[in-house]
Amino acid sequence: MTIQFIIVMNRQGRTRLAKWYDLYSNKEKSLITGQVHKLISTRDTKHQSNFVEFQGNKLVYRRYAGLFFIVSIAIHDSELAYLELLHFMVEILDLYFENVCELDLVFNFYKVYAILDELYLAGEIQETSRDKVLQRLAYLDKLD
Amino acid sequence: MGSLKSFIKAVRASKTIADERAVIRKESAAIRTSFRDVALDQPTRRVNISKLLYLYILGEKTHFGQVECLKLLASQSFGDKRLGYLAVMLLLDENQEVLTLLTNSLDNDMGHPNQAVVGLALCTLGNVASPELALDLYQNVEKILASGNPYLRKKAAVVAAKLVEKDADLAEAFLPHVAPLLADKNHGPLLGALALLRAVHAADATSHALLRRATPALLVHLKKLQAQGYSPEHDVLGVADPFLQVSLLQTLRTLNEHSDEHLEQLNDVLTQVASNIEPGKNSSHAVLYEAVKTIFQVRSDSALRVLGINILGKFLGTKDNNTRYVALNTLLTVLHSEPQAVQRHRSTIVHCLSDGDISIRRRALELTFAIVNEQNIRVLVREVLTFLENSDSELKPYITAQLCVAADKYAPNAKWHFDTLIRMLRVAGNHVTSDIVSNILALVMQNEDLGLTKHVVQRLYQASVEDLSQFGLNLVAVWCVGEYGDYLINTTYETDKGNVSITEDSILDFLYSLINNTTYSDAQGVQLTSYVLTAVLKLSVKFTQTATAEKLRRILNASSNSINLEIQIRAIEYQEIFSQPLALRKGLLERMPAPPVKRREGLSLNSRKVVAPSGNSSAPASDLLLDLMDDSVPAAPQQSADLLSDIFGSTPAPSAKNEIMDLFAAPSASQSKPSQLQVPSSALLAHSNSHVKLYFNVQQLGEGTALIDTLISNVLAVTVSDISMLIAVPKSQKLQLSNISSPLIQAGGTAKQTMKVNGKEGGKLKLRIKLGYSVDGQAIEEQFDFGGFGRTL
Repeated sequence: MTIQFIIVMNRQGRTRLAKWYDLYSNKEKSLITGQVHKLISTRDTKHQSNFVEFQGNKLVYRRYAGLFFIVSIAIHDSELAYLELLHFMVEILDLYFENVCELDLVFNFYKVYAILDELYLAGEIQETSRDKVLQRLAYLDKLD
Repeated sequence: MGSLKSFIKAVRASKTIADERAVIRKESAAIRTSFRDVALDQPTRRVNISKLLYLYILGEKTHFGQVECLKLLASQSFGDKRLGYLAVMLLLDENQEVLTLLTNSLDNDMGHPNQAVVGLALCTLGNVASPELALDLYQNVEKILASGNPYLRKKAAVVAAKLVEKDADLAEAFLPHVAPLLADKNHGPLLGALALLRAVHAADATSHALLRRATPALLVHLKKLQAQGYSPEHDVLGVADPFLQVSLLQTLRTLNEHSDEHLEQLNDVLTQVASNIEPGKNSSHAVLYEAVKTIFQVRSDSALRVLGINILGKFLGTKDNNTRYVALNTLLTVLHSEPQAVQRHRSTIVHCLSDGDISIRRRALELTFAIVNEQNIRVLVREVLTFLENSDSELKPYITAQLCVAADKYAPNAKWHFDTLIRMLRVAGNHVTSDIVSNILALVMQNEDLGLTKHVVQRLYQASVEDLSQFGLNLVAVWCVGEYGDYLINTTYETDKGNVSITEDSILDFLYSLINNTTYSDAQGVQLTSYVLTAVLKLSVKFTQTATAEKLRRILNASSNSINLEIQIRAIEYQEIFSQPLALRKGLLERMPAPPVKRREGLSLNSRKVVAPSGNSSAPASDLLLDLMDDSVPAAPQQSADLLSDIFGSTPAPSAKNEIMDLFAAPSASQSKPSQLQVPSSALLAHSNSHVKLYFNVQQLGEGTALIDTLISNVLAVTVSDISMLIAVPKSQKLQLSNISSPLIQAGGTAKQTMKVNGKEGGKLKLRIKLGYSVDGQAIEEQFDFGGFGRTL
């Protein structure tokens, strides 16, 4: 169950968040981001599944308003579980920012990374309790 | 300099790209200058680093700030450290030299009294771990694993998994920690423990038996999650922590894939999971899907497998595209183990052919062909033909090829077979390959039922007259009109507008319209015209009226002026034959003897791993090659055998070669030089079975480099072919592998492959070898580890 990367981008392809758990050079990163946008943004949300094969891996994605949340996983990993996990992540963001919108992610990008670090570690899920994550985040913010 | 917020606002407020570049360049320069200031205070540094991170997100250059990030780590304030570590994770990666400087900070902070700081350090290590960092810091992680704090324990467990992934040798150190961690009741640490277990399992084959002992503990956890009522903390739409359940199931199947030790308990729990969870929500589907995958990966009993197929069948019936997608995908891989159970969901599968999602259609199509048999062929082929008419043109060549294979295998009778092929030509005549065309023609020629041949020829003629834009159809029809024109003349066929009779003149009209057809490409036009000319010649002995026979001659005359050389030559040659006496022509233009029909294997749309009972996966490729070669097989002159073995002897294994070599085995074995290689007495025996022995002969080992010959000797009395060897070393080392000296070894012979390993001096040399070869046409693959070199790099 290892994630290669998580990307959050808007429909225009502007990256709002990118977390790379595998080794990629900067060049590869920007190449992948562009390809992923091309692939995902043209898909039909109503009639197509939320999974696409990509460079020997699988992208699982969800769209919330104008933002795509995309995670890349190994071909044999469970698409359905990661789809659920994306929703879990968005739930946390929503609770933390109280009705999250794209601008929250733009201005507080460093907080979003911190949230991600409480959810996933080295590409693995580390916590599945909403309350525990939120409590921990509140505690860490107090220390800041 | 302003705050981060004002910087972001300024960037966003830029109206043009040029404006934006100017803002960014100015800010970037200001940050650079401030970093040069020796007396820079911490708050300003913090603002600058956060701006630097924003620049990074924008895709700007940030390398100049790397050392500043490390300076932030030295601060005692938590806020500074938090930002510093975030910057380290984003800006640095494991390739960079600066990482060594990081080691110290991490070392200190993992022993920090504040657990939040320890958490930061662990998180950073997990994200940027390199083999060097792994080796330097694994003991710190071990210490934290043993601590009482669940928050740190879960992080440490995941980090440990990552370190083991980076350096397989660390598996030994972390193995003892796995079992105690699995006793944890907290979900976070348990997830971490499972990740560590899987990492150790993957890194160290010797640990498998020991790790498998954890199976009962995992089953207890899974049972508890099943039995547990609603718990708000981990509930996802009525399922108790689906993520943990998925992870548990995944780990269970990894552990028990090749063992029956815990099969009974495992089957019990899987049955429980499969029957307890109500489908309907994505979260429950995720767990069920994982359970099904597990059922088919461990050796479950048949009842459980049927239950698994039925769950997938239910999935197919849902409205959710995602669920249908995974169901089709999984059905394709498990089809072979329970074909009957899959058949029961035939109508649902067929229904997916009309799905809105092409990836679902594609999989449904593949699955449909996979479940075709004698009983259902009529129904399924009807569906496929309907689908073919409206399908995506990229799928059509695949469908026509598969359809021919299926019809050939399972056709209930010859008439049905021909009618199906003709319908296929009518809807997809532009998407058939030339070998489909020639196979159809061969089938027509082989058919001995005169009545049926008449029926087929008439149907082809009718279909082709009605649609002059289906290339394959036109080709087949015009050939048959030439060969069997006598069956057509003076017959009638039914159309919507009444009966149409076929006369010599109407056949001529048909030929004219094909010659003057402009819908095809040049190459297709040439091919079609050549077919028409041949038909013209054949018809010259079948037409009874002198007037129509004269018209045939005029077609040839007209074509003899063609600017296309191929057509011109053909026309002139045929003119020559045309002017011969009738008796001679009749003898010359006798019915063609029926050629054999070539059998073809089905192909897959996607190359996928199929959970199948040892099928020979290389069959289709070799069939194709054999097809190419089979003309020369009966004669098999000795020279050509030599030539072939020469060609193949020097190139590395194309997969289809062994069959060809087998064909020529006798001549080539006696003539090719016997292998000169000998296994020296100093070589280490790494692996042996009843077919081959594998030795390592160390040429050089030490100073960070190893040069080793791998020698494979054949202990059988027959040739071992198709030898391929893949070798993997730990990530910290680099491997170069030469080509193998010969991909096939005669009885008693030896082949050599040389490898060179580079790595840190003193590193342990550990190899994972995947050896594949064929004996008597049977492909064998084995994987094993070897580390017994007795010396280090």
